Amino acid sequence: MTLERAGEPAQPNIADAGPMEVRAKIQLAMNDLRRLSDIVAIAIARRDGLIIAHDLPRDVDPKRTAAMTAAIVGTSEMAARELGHGKFLQAIVDSEFGKMLSTGAGEEALLVTLVRPEANMGLVLLGVERAAHRIATILAGE
Amino acid sequence: MHTGTGIQILDGKLGGGFQRPSAVLLFSDHPSEKRLFAEQFVVTGLRDGERCLFVDFFRAPQLARRELRKFGSFDEGRISYVDATSAQLLIPSSEKYSIRDPNDLDHIMDTIEKAIRETKPTRVVVDSMEFLADRFPKEHVFRRWRQLLEVGKTEGATVSYLFVNWTYGQAEIERIEDMSDYVVEFQSRMRTGVLQHFLRIRHSHSGGVTTNWIPYTFKELVGLTVYFPRILVTGPFNAGKSTVVRMLCKESVSVDRMGTTIAFDYGNIEIMGLEAEVFGTPGQERFDFVFQIFAREVNGLLLVIDRTRAEDLPRARQMKELAGKDIPTVVLANKADLPNPLADAEIRTQLGIGPEVPIVSTVATQGQGLTEALQKLASMILGEG
Repeated sequence: MTLERAGEPAQPNIADAGPMEVRAKIQLAMNDLRRLSDIVAIAIARRDGLIIAHDLPRDVDPKRTAAMTAAIVGTSEMAARELGHGKFLQAIVDSEFGKMLSTGAGEEALLVTLVRPEANMGLVLLGVERAAHRIATILAGE
Repeated sequence: MHTGTGIQILDGKLGGGFQRPSAVLLFSDHPSEKRLFAEQFVVTGLRDGERCLFVDFFRAPQLARRELRKFGSFDEGRISYVDATSAQLLIPSSEKYSIRDPNDLDHIMDTIEKAIRETKPTRVVVDSMEFLADRFPKEHVFRRWRQLLEVGKTEGATVSYLFVNWTYGQAEIERIEDMSDYVVEFQSRMRTGVLQHFLRIRHSHSGGVTTNWIPYTFKELVGLTVYFPRILVTGPFNAGKSTVVRMLCKESVSVDRMGTTIAFDYGNIEIMGLEAEVFGTPGQERFDFVFQIFAREVNGLLLVIDRTRAEDLPRARQMKELAGKDIPTVVLANKADLPNPLADAEIRTQLGIGPEVPIVSTVATQGQGLTEALQKLASMILGEG
């Protein structure tokens, strides 16, 4: 699992004691969600399209994924508002070989979950909702 | 004589690097990535065939040597270490220069000075001064430090030393800064789970070069590069924004339909020791909500206009204002190869911009003027002076 740090500096140090604790907690939340066998990969991105942390497959560009997720969510939010559907909760991109769930995790962040096509969605959604809430709490207490 | 930092764009500002001889203070209020900068400084010298001396109070020379290899290959025979850790661990040293008694300041400083006199390095790094400041009486440290810097200067070296302030008050910091020809300050900030590193030249005696906070990143084998997480490319419909992103970036993606960008363009730039993420916005007003998503924490703005269409300039002005106040901006007057281009003066009036905003003529389809525009923007972000 990779923790994307703006620039991936070589050695973490004591400076990051506070922030690194936040990152460690995020990592734990990701690990817990990852236990669901239907989940293939997880990314946490900022709503403005920067990547926070991820365990995306090697051939997927995390930065590009974060930017696209931000656009998907931004667009979905606008659509929800336009249609009078209230607060945005989640966008699901359903494709041939899998699903991508983009879930709001507080005001600033998004939880992106890649799911197998034949997944038990009830279970996945429950886990994702719980994880999103947990991540929102961690980032709010930063 | 100059000793380069290995960060191309910064060396450009410094006229080639730190003047040699000199004393360079690498300072931060909190721990940060100063050591990476110092290591890159040393590796840059080694690659130019210079001799370097590294004084390390925290790492064994074997470890320091190994960690230096993350920058790639260089002549390891040209670097000497002053071993300051073996005696702390009560083990014998295999280095030619080693500090036998870590509790004796005079002995420590004599050893470093001897190593400088004998190896005649062009670059010296001491990691770090706070190791001494935390352990020995203040005035004694100051006296010996001044003497060390004198020895360094006499021998023709650029002496850079790391200092995190745990111990001293403002008055002492000012004294340390006064001893230094350059003060480079470091900071790491975290916002919403994203960690960013910044450095700036806060003070320099010669030439008075200073910079804004410069975001940077580190990559194995590449070293430190200046890193802008967000350069926004915006402008009116059909001005050539997507082409600008595509031509500037090695690799890019565009979310477009029927020839117009409906979501965004994204690309990554790596040139001139500079890395940047480039976000291109749609031009049409109905997609302005997309603009809002990406127009946060913008490092710099490339405002693309069609140089033949005066009627689009009010929209361009609106988009510039939408991006936010006081963001370093360069105007790309695109399609400069078409007949009847607008004069710079007219563009300035219509966009409401002063002489501080450069206008660069571009032909994006041929990549013409794009690097120049990016260079100007980078220089503005780094700060003049």
